[in-house]
Amino acid sequence: MIEAQGLTKIFKDKKRGEIRAVDGVNFKAQPGQIYGLLGANGAGKTTTLRMLATILQPTSGTAKVAGFDVVDDPEKVRSNVGFLSTATALYGRLTSKEFVEYFGRLHGMDEAALAKRIGEIFDRLDMNEFRDRRCDKLSTGMKQKVSIARTLVHDPPVMIFDEPTIGLDVMTARVIVQFIRECRAQGKTVIFSTHVMSEVEKLCDTVGIIHNGKVLAEGTLPQLRERYGEQDMEEIFVKVVGE
Amino acid sequence: MAARNVGIVFRKELLDTLKDRRTIVSSIVIPLLMFPLIILVVIFIATTVIPKAVSESPTVMLKGEEGAPALAKQLREDKDFRVVPFSADYVTQINEKKLRAVLEFPAGFEANLQSKPEETQILKIYHYEGEIRSQAVLRQLESSVKFFGENIVTQRLAAAGLAPSEVKVFGLERLNVASAEKVTGNIIGFILPYFIIILCLTGAMYPAMDLTAGEKERGTMETILASPVRRSELVLGKFFLILCVSVTTTALSVISLAITVLIGGAQLAKVGKGIVVAVSAQSAAVVFLMVVPLAATFSAALLAISLIARNYREAQSYLGPLMFLVIIPGMASMMPGVELNSKLALVPILNVSLVAKEIFAGQYHWNLIGLIFLSTCVYAAVALFAAVRQFNREEVLFRT
Repeated sequence: MIEAQGLTKIFKDKKRGEIRAVDGVNFKAQPGQIYGLLGANGAGKTTTLRMLATILQPTSGTAKVAGFDVVDDPEKVRSNVGFLSTATALYGRLTSKEFVEYFGRLHGMDEAALAKRIGEIFDRLDMNEFRDRRCDKLSTGMKQKVSIARTLVHDPPVMIFDEPTIGLDVMTARVIVQFIRECRAQGKTVIFSTHVMSEVEKLCDTVGIIHNGKVLAEGTLPQLRERYGEQDMEEIFVKVVGE
Repeated sequence: MAARNVGIVFRKELLDTLKDRRTIVSSIVIPLLMFPLIILVVIFIATTVIPKAVSESPTVMLKGEEGAPALAKQLREDKDFRVVPFSADYVTQINEKKLRAVLEFPAGFEANLQSKPEETQILKIYHYEGEIRSQAVLRQLESSVKFFGENIVTQRLAAAGLAPSEVKVFGLERLNVASAEKVTGNIIGFILPYFIIILCLTGAMYPAMDLTAGEKERGTMETILASPVRRSELVLGKFFLILCVSVTTTALSVISLAITVLIGGAQLAKVGKGIVVAVSAQSAAVVFLMVVPLAATFSAALLAISLIARNYREAQSYLGPLMFLVIIPGMASMMPGVELNSKLALVPILNVSLVAKEIFAGQYHWNLIGLIFLSTCVYAAVALFAAVRQFNREEVLFRT
């Protein structure tokens, strides 16, 4: 469960003054459902998701993730979140296994449970071939799998994805999309950001259209289609943002 | 929980660092090889190049030798140099290093020695100042001429009915009362503190950059910040790794230096030129104890500063000038007349340099040692606090 209320982030830039990257955002994401945050570059998607993952602190407003407040209990939030973004790079000199182990340990797993969990994950994601290969020697698709393994190692109830398929080829992107569906099937709360319309149509139960830091429209796909009188997600988006 | 996480971060950074070839080379290979190589090169030059330069039969000319036949004959028989026929372009030849020196006799030199003993005649030696071979010949000529002069003196004394011993009124004898440790300790204490301080700093530099600006550059900063580890735990884990590398680099360098000097000393002793290098284990231990908090200060400060940088290049541009801030007070051990007192004991870096010098020379001012240790620990704590604060500032962590 993710709840954001009046979530705001203001950056102070020397030249441009105050920038309201996220401006009073409200939304709810339910377990067993996928919430899509749709917006153009610079709309505030990444900043919103970073606040939910407690990487950034909100300037004002609150958010509750898995029942914990992002400002008051950031560590508990992080223990219950799996965060994946294009910027979440790997430690190149560590092997896939060492990399996932590191994060497993930080999540407080003991060695025995960790070894078992890694065995499970590596089997399920078909990663055993490059288990002991250094991360900087992996292909993009393999690296994505390692990142996914990292987000799964502690089996969090909430998954946050920031533009997870950007720059990936079709086959690798399908793996990600499939994985996101599996998370939903397991009853996790999933939120992901994108500006790719087809992904929204394929995956989302609820969509929030974000622009200039504000959520301008929110609802299920059928609801949005009815409200704006358009079938195509792109047309809906343009209508909303154009207002 | 906190200590466990610090340990996990430390172990991962250690694993990562050990896999990094650059760190292995700069923190292990170079410290182990640096001093032995430098010393070997110096010994090689001292034992082969210089003697060779000195042993080639250097050429000398005599100007106006008609007035000094006996001295000229003695000089010709001298095996240290070779007398060649005089030519007027001797100044050019000396400048071009074809000729090493020229000895000029005043007119009627030996005649005047007999007939006008009260007159002080001047023999002139033309040479190339600072040039090794010319200087060597200069000394040999002076020594040869001096020998000739002493014979004249003995003759004159005999003529006046005096024995040479009556002219030598008294002798002087030098007796060193400082122990071997103090003597060599003084020499060691001159330069070693400076080296140790510089090694601490340079040993910490690369890991500090790699663990901060390097993380930013590689994009792993966001990854680790999304994990449950607290910012302070992350900083401490990195700090301990940097400190570890710094201390290891310094220790390896000093140990390899010690081994080289011991082996070198033993080899020289076989050849006959023994040097007794005595550094007590106690002085080494106390100096090590003084250096650890200094290494901690460097590690924390470098961590805080390089975190500001976006990438390696920028980090290097910040840390480069920092070296000068450390080199200058570090050189305190080499400055004559700078003595440690309670005021200077509070000046960072300078105090460690001076106290290490004293400790190597066997001087233990325990109150100053305690004061310096405590003040350095305070500086380390301040630097670490600054580093933790830096890690909590979003504008520093996400500076793009």
